[in-house]
Amino acid sequence: MSPPRPSADSLSDFDRNLLRQSVRDLLADRWPAERAVELETDPAAVAAVWQAMAAHGLASLASKADETGLREVVLAFEELGRASCPAPLLGAVAANIAFGTGQTNATRALLDDLHQGKAAIALALGAFDGDRGAGRVEVRDGRLSGKVSFVEGAQSVTHVLVLTDRPTGAAIVANGAAGLTVQETPGLMIPAFAELIFEDTPATVVNTPSQLLADIAMVARLACLARAVGAAQRAFELAVDHAKVRKQFGQLIGQFQAVQHKLANIVIALDGARLTLEAAAEARDSGDPAWHVFASAALAFAGPSLREVSIQTHRALGAIGYAEEHEAPRHFRRVHTDVARFGGAPRARQELADYLLGPRQ
Amino acid sequence: MAVLPAHDMGPAANAFREEVRAWLAKHWTPEQHAEHLKKPFRHRGWDTEFSRLMGREGWIGIGWPKEFGGQGRSPAEQIAFVTEVANSGAPAHAHNCGETIVAQALFAYGTKEQQDEWLPAIRRGERTFGLGYSEPEAGSDLAALRTGATRAGDDWIVNGQKLWSTGGDKSEYMWLAVRTDPEAKKHAGISVLMVDLKSPGVTIRPSLALYGKTFSATFYDNVRVSAKNMVGKVNDGWRVITDALAAERVMIGATRMAHLESVFDRLTECVKKTPLRDDPVVRDRIGALAADLEVARQLQLRNSRLVEQGKVPIHEAAAGKVFTSELQERIGQAALDVLGTGGLLSEDAPSAPLGEMEQVLRHSIMGMIGGGTNEIQRNVIALRGLDLPR
Repeated sequence: MSPPRPSADSLSDFDRNLLRQSVRDLLADRWPAERAVELETDPAAVAAVWQAMAAHGLASLASKADETGLREVVLAFEELGRASCPAPLLGAVAANIAFGTGQTNATRALLDDLHQGKAAIALALGAFDGDRGAGRVEVRDGRLSGKVSFVEGAQSVTHVLVLTDRPTGAAIVANGAAGLTVQETPGLMIPAFAELIFEDTPATVVNTPSQLLADIAMVARLACLARAVGAAQRAFELAVDHAKVRKQFGQLIGQFQAVQHKLANIVIALDGARLTLEAAAEARDSGDPAWHVFASAALAFAGPSLREVSIQTHRALGAIGYAEEHEAPRHFRRVHTDVARFGGAPRARQELADYLLGPRQ
Repeated sequence: MAVLPAHDMGPAANAFREEVRAWLAKHWTPEQHAEHLKKPFRHRGWDTEFSRLMGREGWIGIGWPKEFGGQGRSPAEQIAFVTEVANSGAPAHAHNCGETIVAQALFAYGTKEQQDEWLPAIRRGERTFGLGYSEPEAGSDLAALRTGATRAGDDWIVNGQKLWSTGGDKSEYMWLAVRTDPEAKKHAGISVLMVDLKSPGVTIRPSLALYGKTFSATFYDNVRVSAKNMVGKVNDGWRVITDALAAERVMIGATRMAHLESVFDRLTECVKKTPLRDDPVVRDRIGALAADLEVARQLQLRNSRLVEQGKVPIHEAAAGKVFTSELQERIGQAALDVLGTGGLLSEDAPSAPLGEMEQVLRHSIMGMIGGGTNEIQRNVIALRGLDLPR
């Protein structure tokens, strides 16, 4: 579907730089790198940083009243990635888009709570996830049944926003509602994803066109890509700093051409990932109907490229970056997690092939 | 067309693009194109008649400042222009070197007299150049060049040898880097001369390069060049060369980009018409290349935005050059995988599914070596972009 028309009041590049700096400062204060490992496993700490972000106005990103678009969402997620902060911004952005128009009393109340930091939302894309194992949820008489996997942030939120495909809708479920089971599924990412089982679970369901739900899913994919870019960029900066101080064989390792070329390749990959991501976000913000093609291109390039960036970053850091208390392993986890989700790069490549060659017969 | 959607480059560039298209439709007809394709491959692209026509009609120097007779077009408009020219297949190479490299240097370092004489001739498509940089002992390490020039009255006397000059056998002049102070440290003793290749003492020896066109070795045996033909101050040539190189890299990159987009378009159009279109492996490969093309476009756009802001992209230009030239390699390889043995056939071979694809691969080598090898570009990114220690 066509994205919203651009607003005359949308932010300038200068404003965006200010916004980026303010998010970075906030996270440096509330989610300092030296405490990130300890904080990320504490749901209360995640809830607290979310309240601080909401107080900063970040909970209303991508909402109608806010005049912010995908470019602002992208930069906020880049900063979350840099800081290794698992704050539940994804659900907030999705809710702001889903309930931005045609509000009911219930959704208006939820958005008010969300923007004040009283509510935090996890996003369950279900049938709109793009991953074969993501599951789906059905609605019957305002109640949900089904199972969705790979939901992030369920440990620290007040609500879950569930996208449904039969019929298409956006459903709000209170965390702790009867008939909702939340089961952590440990893996690469910390905090862990969760599996959500709905058994005749009461929900507020808003009928929503599937195109809008697909739009939300694409925004989620780009937001997570942005987080991966931020994490990869930060880990890379650590590697560059390391190459300028670490001495072996009597010289700085950054003087070795093998290290220089490794780091130069990372620059190219990171530039490519960031520029295509920003171009896709700008295309959506400016109302370009082809924005999803640019989005697929960004996702298709960044998947394998950011993985390689992450691996090569670790090779430049050597064993110094291999300890879990170092920042780099967190970024490794983040990058590999976020580029593998939602069908990852293979799905994005298929989308591009569909666009260029027509769908497969 | 099976290409990525065009980026909206703004109303001015969009309107200008239409103007360029209309002109090309009138002056480079399918009949002319078919006639051009009858020429041996090595002669294609270089057509001084067409360059003069473009010059007469004001299509050379569109990005030049107005004070030098240009149109002062923005980088976005220039990208639209080179893209349209490349897509049309019109032979626009002959004036390239003069228009982009020599003219840029003359704007910054030329005397008023030089600007008045040389710029209009270049703009009319009447003065063509080759680049005389590399030597047997000076390739990546360009500042090690030894071709010397010594002063004799109002002239310089040039002795030495240059290698790998594209178009060196077709051009009228050589944009020649020479050593004018053998005592000075490497970069300090270099100057730039514009040398008439018909001068006594010049020998040109063309050879066929892997990509199917010629490049030349040139020999200079006591060649007399007027001091009026030196651009920039004596021994200040390194600055002239590097400034001009940085400025032209953006447009060269845009031209290469346009070429790649049209190659990719031909490949996908060909795939679309065959059962290959439903092959999941082929589709995956095409999808990956499309994403890479978008990356190459974005790297080029960044460079042109920097130029527009009055900045000189250095490591950014290097990144664009590395990525785009290596993408050409990947596209050429993919074409051979997708088309199989048929991809090895020339376009005029019977039963060739799609010609010129193996040529894309042969050509990619030049992209990775010419204008500073990709290894040197990576050094630039590391040292200038990341400030890593030497």
